[in-house]
Amino acid sequence: MFLALKEIKKEKIRSGMIIAMIALIGYLIFILTSLALGLARQNTDAVNSWGIDNITLNDSANVDLRQSIITQKQVGNLTADQALLGQAPVVVKAKDHANTSAAFVGLKPDQFIAKNLKVSSGHQATRVGEVVADDSFKTKGYELGDTVTFNDFSRKFKIVGFTQGAKLNIAPVLYGRLSTWRQLKGNMPGAYASAIVSKDAGYRTKANGLKTYSKATFINKLPGYSAQNLTFGLMIFFLMLISLIVIAVFLYILTMQKLPNYAVLRAQGIPSKMLVGATISQSVLLAAAGLILATALTVVTAFAMPASVPVAFDVPILASAGVGLLVMALLGSLIPIRSVLKVDPVSVIGG
Amino acid sequence: MKPLVIEKVNQVFGTGTARVHVLHDVSFETEPGTVSLIMGPSGSGKSTLLSIAGGLLTPTSGMVSVAGEPYSDRTKKQRDKLRLDYIGFVLQAYHLLPYLTVQDQFTLVDKVKSTGNLSADELAEVLESLGISDLVHKYPPELSGGQQQRVAIARALYPNPAVILADEPTAALDGPRVQVVADLFKSLAVEHGKSVVIVTHDSRLTDVADVIYEMKDGYLTQKE
Ligand SMILES: Nc1ncnc2c1ncn2[C@@H]1O[C@H](COP(=O)(O)OP(=O)(O)O)[C@@H](O)[C@H]1O
Ligand SMILES: [Mg+2]
Repeated sequence: MFLALKEIKKEKIRSGMIIAMIALIGYLIFILTSLALGLARQNTDAVNSWGIDNITLNDSANVDLRQSIITQKQVGNLTADQALLGQAPVVVKAKDHANTSAAFVGLKPDQFIAKNLKVSSGHQATRVGEVVADDSFKTKGYELGDTVTFNDFSRKFKIVGFTQGAKLNIAPVLYGRLSTWRQLKGNMPGAYASAIVSKDAGYRTKANGLKTYSKATFINKLPGYSAQNLTFGLMIFFLMLISLIVIAVFLYILTMQKLPNYAVLRAQGIPSKMLVGATISQSVLLAAAGLILATALTVVTAFAMPASVPVAFDVPILASAGVGLLVMALLGSLIPIRSVLKVDPVSVIGG
Repeated sequence: MKPLVIEKVNQVFGTGTARVHVLHDVSFETEPGTVSLIMGPSGSGKSTLLSIAGGLLTPTSGMVSVAGEPYSDRTKKQRDKLRLDYIGFVLQAYHLLPYLTVQDQFTLVDKVKSTGNLSADELAEVLESLGISDLVHKYPPELSGGQQQRVAIARALYPNPAVILADEPTAALDGPRVQVVADLFKSLAVEHGKSVVIVTHDSRLTDVADVIYEMKDGYLTQKE
């Protein structure tokens, strides 16, 4: 620590540059992580808010809620732990508002999803023709009591409540009646619902043509969701790798320049432990300083970011990304440490 | 107890046709407060002997002990410690850490050896006698070569070792400076009671020597 601090203090420009580099990489990692998380949440918020364990869909729907239609006969008997829902993509139209693509989710008012639905303002839908809309409609200028229409559907709907975090596959959700969903589907014969969701982990459908999937399977199959996570995951992985290489190369160069000095210190009896310690602390100090800067930049960004950008700044997740960077710094010091351990003090005797 | 004893040391490098027998049954010992000079042409094995004396190199055969403690039955770590406690190296290339001030070069020793180092007063005295008292807050790159060498000497003295091993300390110096350094080593022996071993091919140092050895093709003989 002594040597590391002294060197960083003396070599301000070099250290400043590496700190700046780590800060920028760390900042990019933090922002990408937050964007990935924000988008992931927009895919899954609604599903997560339902508090379900599994979902039963038509087995030929490719685990896609939008493609699934199930009949009344297939539904069979349900307990209080199960609920039906019907999802239909809609274009929400209203006077003085731009059209909005949304997901209509039809519920039965006596089942647990409708009963547990928390409104952030207004009240739950009690009548056919009333809907509870995602908060994002509020930021778009909709107010309680506004009437909207869906696509070419002649019927008018009234927004009676807003609810937080109702997003399904990026689209904002409007909760209404299952019977409305059937009408939106054109009263297709046999179309009773899109899915059965269950809080009970033991629930499995026995009906022919249906299949029960875990919530995790369902979420991973959300269109684009896995690909998106993979893309972000790869970007973050490569940034980590880049930070590892940057730290390793920088430390390697610095350490190589010091090997003759280290050889003299070794000849004088300074234990290798101290020189290895100096290398590790240097790496960790630089990475930590970079991380502190990156955190400051991220905090500033978080405040400056407009609400419409789908970012979620989650402290535990960002902290683990930070720890990941520190681990990279430690790994980056391994190669220089090898050179430090191989220093031969005999080499400095005899000039 | 002799500060440094070397007994029947042989050093062989390589095997087969690449085999070189560098040291042949080399023996010598030092007394406190004396300067021993080991003279010999380049390639005669002086640096190899110094490395062995300092415990950096384990000889092919023979025994080396410092302050009565043989290196042979010690681990690498324990040899580091022995070196830290009893040996002060003054090397041809000083290689002072460029980012430590002169003062911090000593503080670094404190970090690994907390007792037995020179006190602040003793250090001040040493720096004074070396004429580098007012350089303590400078960094090595700000010093001249001669000043750096004197800092390196002070650094070697700081842990208060019984033995000072110097490899070609005048190699890079011109006439008048050689005398200064020679006198300095003499005073380390006389005033500080060190056993000083200087390895060199510079005959200008013979004035200050109490004992002179000659190294030739790996054989060591005492001259006077
Ligand atoms: N590690 C080594 N491997 C092989 N030969 C060596 C090694 N170190 C020194 N030598 C040889 O030992 C001889 C003595 O070298 P050295 O002790 O450096 O001499 P001096 O310091 O007197 O000039 C030289 O011939 C040198 O080539
Ligand atoms: Mg030599």
